[in-house]
Amino acid sequence: MSTATEIVFGGTHGGALTELADYEAVGGMTALRRAREMTPNEIIEELNASNLRGRGGAFFPTGRKWSFVPTPEQNPRPHYLVVNADESEPGTFKDREILLRVPLRFLEGCLIAARAIQSQHVVVYIRGEYEREWEVLVSALEQMRKAKLLGDVTIVVHRGAGAYICGEETALLESLEGKRGQPRTKPPFPAIAGLYASPTAVNNVESIATVPPIIEMGGAEYAKLGRPDASTGTRVFSLSGNVAHPGNYELPHGFPLKDLIFEVGGGIPGGRTLKAVIPGGSSTAILTAAEAEKVTLDYDTLAAAGTAIGSAAVIAIDDRCCIVQLGVRISQFYEHESCGKCTPCRVGTRWTTQILKRIESGEGTHADLDLLIDVGEKVNGTCLCPLGDTAMIAIASYVAKFRDEFVAHVEEGGCPFHGTSSLEGILAPTDVHAAHVGPAEITRPLEVVA
Amino acid sequence: MSSGTSLYDQIAELRARYPDPRSAILPALQLAQAEHGGWLPEEALRGVADAMDVTPAYCLSIASFYDMFHTEPVGRHVVEVCTNVSCALSGAQGVVEAFERELGIHAGETTGDGNVTLRTVECLGGCGWATVVALNNRHRLHVRAGDVYGIVKELGE
Amino acid sequence: MTPGGDAGAGVRHTADTVTVTIDDREIEVAKGTGLVETAAEAGIEIPVFCYEPRLGPPVGACRMCLVEIEGLPKLQAGCTLTAQEGMVVRTAATSERAAHGQQGTLEFILVNHPLDCPVCDKGGECPLQDLTFRYGPGSTRMRFPKLTFDKPIPVSPLIALDRERCILCYRCTRFSSDVAEDGQLIARNRGAYSEIATFGEDPYRAPFSGNVIELCPVGALTSTQYRFEARPWEITDVPTVCGLCPAGCNIRATTREGAIKRVQSRNHPEVDGGWICDKGRFTFPAVRADDRVREPLARGELGLAPVSWDAALDRAEELLRGARGRIVTALSGSETTEIAYGLGVLVRRGLHAHSAVLHESTSSALDAFRTPLSTIGAAELVVVVGDDEILDRAPAVDLWIRRARRNGAEIITIGARGTMRTAPGGAAEALQELLASRSALGKRLRASEHAVLIWSGAGGGGGARLAEVADALGFAAKPGCGAFHLPATPNARGVAEAWAAAADEDEVEVEGIGLLVVSGDEAASDPAVRALAEKADAVLAITMFHSLVVGWADLVLPATAALEREGTSMNLEGRVQRLRRAVTPPVPDELAWLAKLAGRFDVALSPYPAVVFEQLSERLYGGLELGQLGEQAPLPARAPYIAPAPAHTDAQTAHLDAVEGHFVGTLRLLRYTPLFSGPEVERVAELQFQRPEREVALAAGDADRRGIATGDMVTLRSNGTSVELRARVDRKLVEGVARIAEEHAADLHLDVEVVRV
Repeated sequence: MSTATEIVFGGTHGGALTELADYEAVGGMTALRRAREMTPNEIIEELNASNLRGRGGAFFPTGRKWSFVPTPEQNPRPHYLVVNADESEPGTFKDREILLRVPLRFLEGCLIAARAIQSQHVVVYIRGEYEREWEVLVSALEQMRKAKLLGDVTIVVHRGAGAYICGEETALLESLEGKRGQPRTKPPFPAIAGLYASPTAVNNVESIATVPPIIEMGGAEYAKLGRPDASTGTRVFSLSGNVAHPGNYELPHGFPLKDLIFEVGGGIPGGRTLKAVIPGGSSTAILTAAEAEKVTLDYDTLAAAGTAIGSAAVIAIDDRCCIVQLGVRISQFYEHESCGKCTPCRVGTRWTTQILKRIESGEGTHADLDLLIDVGEKVNGTCLCPLGDTAMIAIASYVAKFRDEFVAHVEEGGCPFHGTSSLEGILAPTDVHAAHVGPAEITRPLEVVA
Repeated sequence: MSSGTSLYDQIAELRARYPDPRSAILPALQLAQAEHGGWLPEEALRGVADAMDVTPAYCLSIASFYDMFHTEPVGRHVVEVCTNVSCALSGAQGVVEAFERELGIHAGETTGDGNVTLRTVECLGGCGWATVVALNNRHRLHVRAGDVYGIVKELGE
Repeated sequence: MTPGGDAGAGVRHTADTVTVTIDDREIEVAKGTGLVETAAEAGIEIPVFCYEPRLGPPVGACRMCLVEIEGLPKLQAGCTLTAQEGMVVRTAATSERAAHGQQGTLEFILVNHPLDCPVCDKGGECPLQDLTFRYGPGSTRMRFPKLTFDKPIPVSPLIALDRERCILCYRCTRFSSDVAEDGQLIARNRGAYSEIATFGEDPYRAPFSGNVIELCPVGALTSTQYRFEARPWEITDVPTVCGLCPAGCNIRATTREGAIKRVQSRNHPEVDGGWICDKGRFTFPAVRADDRVREPLARGELGLAPVSWDAALDRAEELLRGARGRIVTALSGSETTEIAYGLGVLVRRGLHAHSAVLHESTSSALDAFRTPLSTIGAAELVVVVGDDEILDRAPAVDLWIRRARRNGAEIITIGARGTMRTAPGGAAEALQELLASRSALGKRLRASEHAVLIWSGAGGGGGARLAEVADALGFAAKPGCGAFHLPATPNARGVAEAWAAAADEDEVEVEGIGLLVVSGDEAASDPAVRALAEKADAVLAITMFHSLVVGWADLVLPATAALEREGTSMNLEGRVQRLRRAVTPPVPDELAWLAKLAGRFDVALSPYPAVVFEQLSERLYGGLELGQLGEQAPLPARAPYIAPAPAHTDAQTAHLDAVEGHFVGTLRLLRYTPLFSGPEVERVAELQFQRPEREVALAAGDADRRGIATGDMVTLRSNGTSVELRARVDRKLVEGVARIAEEHAADLHLDVEVVRV
């Protein structure tokens, strides 16, 4: 199986292009020079022709997003390009590798995007945990500054400080403004009033890193890659979980999921069998192994299968995993990351954790299963941002696809895995937190090595 | 930014980078935390507040929102084990327990000598390189329970 | 549904209105009206917790207001939407989805709520309780341990926080950050573990803190004064006006069994916008102070001793007659207009004694530029002149200015701590210069349709000098422009005008003071009045508090508090507002005994405030009737501009000369009267933490030259007297000045030496 459709990682040959000279040697910065001869509109047109859609998870057409930003004549306030490098969706680690291996391509993309929306101000909001990535990016930026490639554009690299919610664009903007990262009401949309109430485009790292190749090869040419429908081009898929060769793989959209896992990823190790796949990051609905066999990795196919391509993070789960435990762990994640603004999400994510833990412990009833679904329905669609929605969609999909396993917990009065599940006993930050706030739930005995 | 300059002056420089100086609060807190042994005691928050021209309470509201700021003391080293799904599927709990045994503390605690704080954390963005362990914010990839003894040895030095 | 409601709908259409359909009813409202208000107009409730327009733009946090909007897939937070032409809305009343969503929100809100309504102060007046009855589920499905917290936590000596009851609507923290901008009350942590907090052990120490109690839609933030004091069904609320500063915020005094239990805002949108300061809210317990004068006291051989009212009036008559017209009346400026008039009638008409002292002069010249205080909030340019902080003189004005700034206005302050720093007393001159020299500021003030001038300090002829400036700028013809003088006392204008109205003959100059009449506690605690007392043969004091006059009064007649009075007061806008008696005072009304005394000198004075007002109104307010004041008094129209008497060299200018000549090494003493000071504040234990520190503020340069840093103890010396205070470097303060609260400045003179201890 060929994996050689490298666009974002083009020219890297599996390595990294962190030195400007090396990057220019493989044709780096030619797109920037070309873009500087194009009008902002021409750049946007090229993007429209490519049908590049947001790689962060929302899949919104990038060119269209830029076209929503008013011109300086329409709105004289400074315009901002904000790049969302706050990659935190469980399963996703692609932006990190992009920043490490092609930081200059990414920065080149920033400059082209800034030109498209007529902005002189770029802010890259990089998650605080990405310390090495930050260093690599800052060094790349310094090289470009010295080479006078930045023109009249200022690029600020701003480090986050640990909050998944800041991956949501309005929460990111709040955080960037020095506030708690809580989502804003929309409208106004960022394009109209984003950072400092000014016109702002917020784009994902991978989207931006795809811009130079699109300018170089032409939008129409790029659109020939991948699928002819919504899912043109390539995608950097993050493959993790129970596979032999996890990692990031840049592949064309429409690549079969089973091939990613079994060919590219080398299959399920240890003689286990595939039980389920989370296809687009923790926020997407789970697929059974049988469903996973049939789908390709693109927007329309996955939507038709009742899930989503999301951030293209594929988590393979083998037969050792108790799905109720998976539900607990996912619910704990969202409980931990809920910003606390909207009531249903703040309260609901903690409640679903409690319900799922009770089911896992064998003390749950059929009524608890109904309650779980009902709480999820009351969170889903009632909040400002999608955090609570996706948490509940994911959890509901576990129940829907693996109902028998949930029922077995209730009817057998315990976990049918009897302590052998691959997620058995996993300790989430909220478990630690719970010891400090509210009644402590379990005190684990501690083995001390003499 | 030389190490000789005061926190106040360093923060003033950070503030000047942004159209709205308040945007500098995360970098300012990061700076203060680094200067105060990895956490933010009240005096650190007061110092940031003074330099940022906000109240100490405002600094606390920000610092307590983000996971990477600590408003309680931490050890000289902070060990953070990712226990989100991909790492968990790949044995993260074994790594946590190995650290607990080697250090003689529960996750969430600091060793009695104040050397190491052990935490479990949410996804560190290294799912394909599980299990990811952050040692003072530098990520170790593919960590297995068997590696823990060596890591703890390193930290002891 | 046809957008626009065409033929047959009978709906009139203009460009400025839109028609929306809510629960099948068409409603026409002004464009931009919030959906919550739009629905309310049609009598339809969209329930809310976090929504409170006074806190700024909606945040959509609590999700109580979920509604279904035709054409949108998800339920929407109604509070974040404005009415759009053709919008079709379904509330819980007609939409099962909205009802389901709302019920969900309430169930979530109640998941961690302790449901301790029977022991909660909010019970009976609790939005959570009410909305749960109307929209909530009948029972809970939550069978897990609720989040528990230590409680109640004293957020300050005034406010208790019960985190278990808190529903995290963030109203309180938004008030702190977005309205009062004190940044003291915050949300800590994230997600389910978020909680309301202050910094460490610090109390919520800010001038408007008490508003968060009223904003709290549950019993999470409660008043320590009101805790367990009363139940909503056993209280009576009396609408009145705060008598503690010249803003005249509209308040409601909650009483139970004849005692005041709390004071709340009564939202006059033009005056206070629904916020009151902590002084107005929390000082009411002073009426129950231990040293309250409850009966007349006369000086005998053993000092002041209680006497009967008959004996007291005899003694008063004796003192008044004995002075033979050599009487000086020291007015507080906190009297009701009627009491001041009554006193004036007695001494001016009855005794031909016309000398009176008031803390500061007043002027009616600003009436030509009269405009509601709310105008400030909509201004684009605000210029504040004077050395006193607005907060210390009229706190409500501070909030209007903050609002203006948030709306994008430029705020220029000229004074010792201003954006344009001037030497003490030099602000007025600086303003004149700015205008005379055709400065950019002068041009902008002339061009602006939304500019406001505010005088916040001593001098200036009680607004007369400001009026001249406003006139020169052409403000009289611009309704969006205004000029305000912030008097030092609550009813300075009303008292001065009543005093003037009580005269019926020309003034005669008299030598010496036979009797000093001290009217009210502010006058009694004023060092200048005490100095006068030393020159007087006798002193008759009308005060609420015994300890203020114990050493120097010959006769003490008990005074009432503003909350115990019927009458009127004129605020700094020139608005006549009505005070209503919240509780019966423990002593007779001033007017009652003033009328009796007046009778002894053959002058007519009614003991009834309403009758006195009627007489006054004919002379002062063009026959305005008490009934016309209503619960929200209107602001009279602008008066024609009458140029005030020209400025004469007063003490202020003299001070200015003194500053020019001060010898090197000394600093000029700048005294200020803090908001949290005065006889009433001093008598409320839980308010003491709000009083100013024992400190002196110094400019950074002055501190540096003396090797002084914030926190150092310093000695201030002048003419043989000295005071030791903590130093604080004030980055806003002009150089050459030592700024000290009046109560800590003791007897220091104008030039002080400041050295580190």
